[in-house]
Amino acid sequence: MKKTFDPGRVSSYFQAEWRSLFVVTVSGLLYNLGLLAGPLFEGRLAQCLLDIFGGSKTFTDMVMLAAFYIVTIAGVQLARYIKRFYVRRFANNTNLRMKQALYHNLVHMPRTELEKESVGSMMTRAVSDVEACAEGMRKFTTEVFDTGVALFGYVGMLFYYDWHLAFLCLIFPPFAYGIAEKMKKVVQRTGAVYKESASRLSSATMDQVTNAVTYRVYGCEGERKKAYEEALRDYESAAVRAQVWVGALPPLYHVISMVSVMFIISLGSQNVRSHIWDIGIFTAYLSCYAKLSVKSSKAAKLFNSVQKAEVSWKRIKPLIQSVLGENIVDYIPCQTLRVEKLGVDGVFFDLSFSAEPGQIIGITGPVACGKSMLGKAFLQEREYSGRILFGERELVARGVIGYLGHDPELFSDTVENNVLLGNDDDVWNYLKAVDMDAEVAAMPDGIHTKVGTGGLLLSGGQQQRLALARTLAHRKPVLVLDDPFSALDRETERKVFVNLKKCAKDSIVLLISHRLYLFPELDGVIWMENGCAKAADHHAWMEHSTLYRELYELQVKGGQPE
Amino acid sequence: MKEHAKRNTGSVILHTIRQSKVLSTGILLTVAGAVIVALLPPLVLEWIVDRLSIGETFAFLAAVLYFGLIALAGLLESGREILLTVFGQRITRSLRRALDDKLSRLTADDLSKLEPGVISSRFIGDVDTVENLFTSGIISMAADLCKVVSIFVIIGGKNPGLAVLLLLLVPVIFGFTRFVQKRSLKAQLENRKAVAKVTNHVPETIKNIRTIHTLEKEAYMEGRYGDYIGESYAAIEKTNFFDSVYSPVILILNAVVTAVVMVLSASGIPVVTTFFGMSVGTAVAVISYISQVFGPLESIGMEIQTIQSAVAGIHRIDEFLALPERWNTDEMLRLKEHVPCVELKNVCFGYVPEHEILHEMSLQVQTGEHLTLAGRTGAGKSTLFKLLLGQYQPWSGQVLIYGQEASLIPDSEKRRLFGYVEQTFHAVPGTVADQIRLFDESISLEMVEEAARIAGLHETITKLHEGYQTSYAVELFSQGQRQLLSIARAIAARPKILLLDEITANLDADTEQTVLAALQNASINRTVLSISHRLYEQTGGKIINII
Repeated sequence: MKKTFDPGRVSSYFQAEWRSLFVVTVSGLLYNLGLLAGPLFEGRLAQCLLDIFGGSKTFTDMVMLAAFYIVTIAGVQLARYIKRFYVRRFANNTNLRMKQALYHNLVHMPRTELEKESVGSMMTRAVSDVEACAEGMRKFTTEVFDTGVALFGYVGMLFYYDWHLAFLCLIFPPFAYGIAEKMKKVVQRTGAVYKESASRLSSATMDQVTNAVTYRVYGCEGERKKAYEEALRDYESAAVRAQVWVGALPPLYHVISMVSVMFIISLGSQNVRSHIWDIGIFTAYLSCYAKLSVKSSKAAKLFNSVQKAEVSWKRIKPLIQSVLGENIVDYIPCQTLRVEKLGVDGVFFDLSFSAEPGQIIGITGPVACGKSMLGKAFLQEREYSGRILFGERELVARGVIGYLGHDPELFSDTVENNVLLGNDDDVWNYLKAVDMDAEVAAMPDGIHTKVGTGGLLLSGGQQQRLALARTLAHRKPVLVLDDPFSALDRETERKVFVNLKKCAKDSIVLLISHRLYLFPELDGVIWMENGCAKAADHHAWMEHSTLYRELYELQVKGGQPE
Repeated sequence: MKEHAKRNTGSVILHTIRQSKVLSTGILLTVAGAVIVALLPPLVLEWIVDRLSIGETFAFLAAVLYFGLIALAGLLESGREILLTVFGQRITRSLRRALDDKLSRLTADDLSKLEPGVISSRFIGDVDTVENLFTSGIISMAADLCKVVSIFVIIGGKNPGLAVLLLLLVPVIFGFTRFVQKRSLKAQLENRKAVAKVTNHVPETIKNIRTIHTLEKEAYMEGRYGDYIGESYAAIEKTNFFDSVYSPVILILNAVVTAVVMVLSASGIPVVTTFFGMSVGTAVAVISYISQVFGPLESIGMEIQTIQSAVAGIHRIDEFLALPERWNTDEMLRLKEHVPCVELKNVCFGYVPEHEILHEMSLQVQTGEHLTLAGRTGAGKSTLFKLLLGQYQPWSGQVLIYGQEASLIPDSEKRRLFGYVEQTFHAVPGTVADQIRLFDESISLEMVEEAARIAGLHETITKLHEGYQTSYAVELFSQGQRQLLSIARAIAARPKILLLDEITANLDADTEQTVLAALQNASINRTVLSISHRLYEQTGGKIINII
């Protein structure tokens, strides 16, 4: 079963859950056919009472009948409980499976793909689509029994007792159904208008609230209030229009299909008088029809939920279909990194250098010289010319490159989980390395302190150091660090730098930075200016580049680079 | 500004009810009507069955009456739904309006302290709970209670024994109902929490995908996701259990009561039959009433829940409405001439009493002067701006703009007086022109263009596909250009004074140059106070150290 599971096909979800579905089928049939027992027994009970008064039956008959009634109803309701529970479990499992498949693909999708505006938000929306889809599959399964089988049973019973009358009765429910079908368009249209209006109102609210200070200092709160009042008015009318249809129509549909009770009462009473029926059948027929009319008003729901699920499924399908595999790369650590005639179109060209494990190479240049672009080339996120070789082989980013950029990319999780990401290791080693151990120890929950969404609860410097600790905890042969110290003061930066040298002695570190005072201690410096990128060392650049020297001296003297 | 009476949720609702008398009466009538009419069909049925059981005929009219009552109940129900919807929305709207009024009267302190997410949840979530209170809370609860009571009265008349039996059962049933509902709600809340984690995990993954890929953490992330879905799964399984178990139990109970009544009425023992004896027709009617008692009981449970959450919502709304309000400004105030443009006299100020930020500060800026404020973070540079903008009142001393108290200058004058540029640009919904104009209709399109020209942004904007009328979106402008938009916004109304708050803090050096050039243009013929070293380096002027 597991092996042939194809997340891109709806049927495979049904197949995977065949056990639950089997239970649902058996209990569903039992329950829905058992539903007939209610009206039948109630009719029998009334008839039995009449017979007792007439002397043809005794008290014991009544006790037997009543006991039988309770047992039957209990059995039917037990079947119903089982059915409901398993249908929900089926939906829950399907939901789980779909989400897992979806997430698996998401996490293996190349970044360049995800950066495309639509893909990211599509993925986010897909999660709620999965809910709708699983819900739709649940309702479909439920309604197949509750509506399909039950209706069949009721109709069968009506025909069994009096097929002429049954024909007459069954004219009206389709009427109600047809009108409901017609009105559905209106309901959907007004519903869509309402949704739009609601989202307009909520963005107007957000605008009022988030920009309150701006509006106040500019003295235009009055104008915004008018706009908000307009949004409120619009929302009120849209909401009324949409909800009126939803609330007011169902009772009317019920009335329409209940027209038939007039026939049942008048024709049924003739049946009783001509002794074709007894009172029991008369009341059973009546309550059976009442139940049918309630059920049939729900038939529309079946189609609605299937339709909704179909729309959601269409959106999910392409995202869930092709399962992206694990791209496992093997490489030998501790090799030489060689860069030959590297260039990125329109940014820089002709960069050649090589680095050995344990070396730290600085990369710098004036603002907007394209240093970050160089880092992206190593990540294979930018097209480049020339070659990057790790050992003898063309570089593949995965597994070889460790990267830390401007954005610390923290998770809304604990300090510990952010550093170790599930590894079995001692988090304190890394916190010490980034000079953060004392700060974390002072936090209320220590390493189990939650850092908030994107690290919101930490300061900028703490975020950067935590991200660096994470990079160190997952050492890769080549570490590209893009400005990792920008939010640190000089003293902390020095400490962290010394630890970095110790920790990463088997790795090659490419340190992209606009702060130069650590550069004299680096093993090499790449200077980028006007598209020209060259590798040398600090002393060479101090001698040959006036701009480099000026920048360095300004920072060392000024102390405050920003 | 007018004096505003103290308001709370209750007074807003009462006011709305008083204003919609017709509607309120209509609701009362339809609710009562629907309850009463829904009780009648079984009585007609009883009469029909009784006639039938003694072999008598009855008029076709009885069948029509039976259906007519069902139809009338349906119509009343439908009408009640319509009126309740209209009414609920009316309340919602007036509550939101009251909240919005309050928002504009909050003190600057509260405004900056309250998180936007928290305030907007007052506006949206909490108001919705109050709406539910009316559409599916107290009114329907009253209706359900009436239904239960009147069924009891009828049953009491027909079969007093049953009424007593049910009366004993009701507390049990109700207790069971509440138990299931509470458990189910708890599981639902757990699920909602788990779902929030699940939902949050996806955008976070997308945002951090580079780290996940470079550190090869795909499997770990899948595991985390699995954990979160697992939590939600477990919570849903719990709700499933309660969902599935409730209604079967109730229906079995229903059957037991029916069976017991039938048995007792057929017992033939005189003592028992005085209480439980009934005709066949009555039996049919009673069976139908028994099943009608259980429905409202279940609904009442749900309604209690709705009311509970509405009470919590009302409490939060009232808290918001009770926040202190800002002082009134002086609409009649006229600015003086031939006085310093900005003057501080022995100003002392701090946000909290224990912590004074400005101490005995005095300062004079003449019209046309350019002044740079220097000093470490937290020294009170931005605070000074807030005092000048009239957002706060000093503890002691005076903050004067053209000879008048800054805090008394009415909002309507502000834009002609101040252009305030912050560190970040706050986009507003609307077109690019709206960003500059900020919905001030007295600013013409020419003034908008002029402001954009001075800010050096006119070319960029005209190149957009609909020029100034293009809908604003973040992607349209770079970070530096957004800062230029702030400048254009600040100068659009041709203000006398420019306040510049570290506007280049987040920019790289290239963009900074463009922004500084724009500011130099904007500063011509204006009084400028700024917190920016670089601007000072380029344009000079006075510099003042705040310690």
